[in-house]
Amino acid sequence: MSAELKAQVLAAVAAEPSPARAAVERRNAVITIIAAASGIGAFLVFASFISNGQMLRLGGEIAPHYHVERSIGLVVTTAGGALGIAAMALWLALGRGRSMLGRSRSWLLCGGALVPIGLLAWKVGCSLTFGYAMVPWPDRPGLRCLALSLLVATGPLLAFLAMRRSAPIHPALNGASMGVAAGACAWVAVDLWCPVAFVPHLLIGHVLPLLILAGTGALLGQALLSVRGRLR
Amino acid sequence: MERYSNGDDAAFGELYDAIAPRLLGFLRKATRDGCATEDLMQQTFLHIHRARGSFIPGAPVMPWVFAITRRLVIDVARRQRVEQGLFARVPADDERTRYEPAAETATTGDVLDARRLERRVQQRLDALPETQRTAYQLVKQEGVSLKRAAELLGISVTAVKLRTHRAYVALRGVLGDESALS
Repeated sequence: MSAELKAQVLAAVAAEPSPARAAVERRNAVITIIAAASGIGAFLVFASFISNGQMLRLGGEIAPHYHVERSIGLVVTTAGGALGIAAMALWLALGRGRSMLGRSRSWLLCGGALVPIGLLAWKVGCSLTFGYAMVPWPDRPGLRCLALSLLVATGPLLAFLAMRRSAPIHPALNGASMGVAAGACAWVAVDLWCPVAFVPHLLIGHVLPLLILAGTGALLGQALLSVRGRLR
Repeated sequence: MERYSNGDDAAFGELYDAIAPRLLGFLRKATRDGCATEDLMQQTFLHIHRARGSFIPGAPVMPWVFAITRRLVIDVARRQRVEQGLFARVPADDERTRYEPAAETATTGDVLDARRLERRVQQRLDALPETQRTAYQLVKQEGVSLKRAAELLGISVTAVKLRTHRAYVALRGVLGDESALS
């Protein structure tokens, strides 16, 4: 092993500043605050434009003279459960365990599949126990919920990618997992805003954005997180 | 690595001394090219340097370093394949003879057959899924142990065996086709 090569590597490293752990932790804290602010800001803007500033909507008239309303208990139960699942999704997507390689493929795949299924099952299960929550809303296919989910989740997804920066193995899966985690966070906000628990609406407005975010996360993860090399 | 990630810049020299010999051996086997080895070595250390702030205390370093190196090797190989596809070049005469040590004693037909077979095997190897090709190259061509290959690829030993076997079966299929033709 040549001393020349070592000198060359040391010089290259010295020429490129790289933050130590304390600086990275500060940077990640700032990114987290920005991500949370962007998600909450998007939710507030959306709510004020679409539903006169209402962030918690309990129900309304779905046909002439036919009102359906969620109880506060149902909202707290569904949003609380969704928050728990979102926390698990975040732990899965952002945590790396005790290895610098991050989570294994099977963990990422299982998490990516189980989080949307778990959120949907929780929402439907809770709503079934609360009587009228599952009635069809013909004029609510779920497009506004879809837009709200994507709007709220975009900032967090970009933040997660910025925090991770590099994934030597499975960059696309890591990105997809981050997309699902961002979507799960958005689900909580959408759950507060949307009173509809009709299954076709949930599939289009609540689950589809998670799949879109997973796909986008996979593409961005492959592009931004993968290790790339070039010979001179 | 722990000290380096906490901001002790002087620890990088020690880190280099600990990692470089194993890395150099791996890269020499993988690239068989001195310049590429040095280039990839430097890039690997730059990646380690850039990621030092996000190093997990107590995490094993070598699997991570080998994973970075492997990705760099694969990426460079891919780029080279694309460039070779774009600027397909005819190998020089001396390059051809270098790979044909038996050319003097073999008949022209034998040489042509061998060359065709080599080309078909290479094409089949190129057409394999990346995961199978890498496992096969590490285990069968580079002579890396199954355990080490599993560490490098970030998968289980059983998965390495499976991928290597699948690649082997696919390549054996080419030989079977050839013998059926002849």
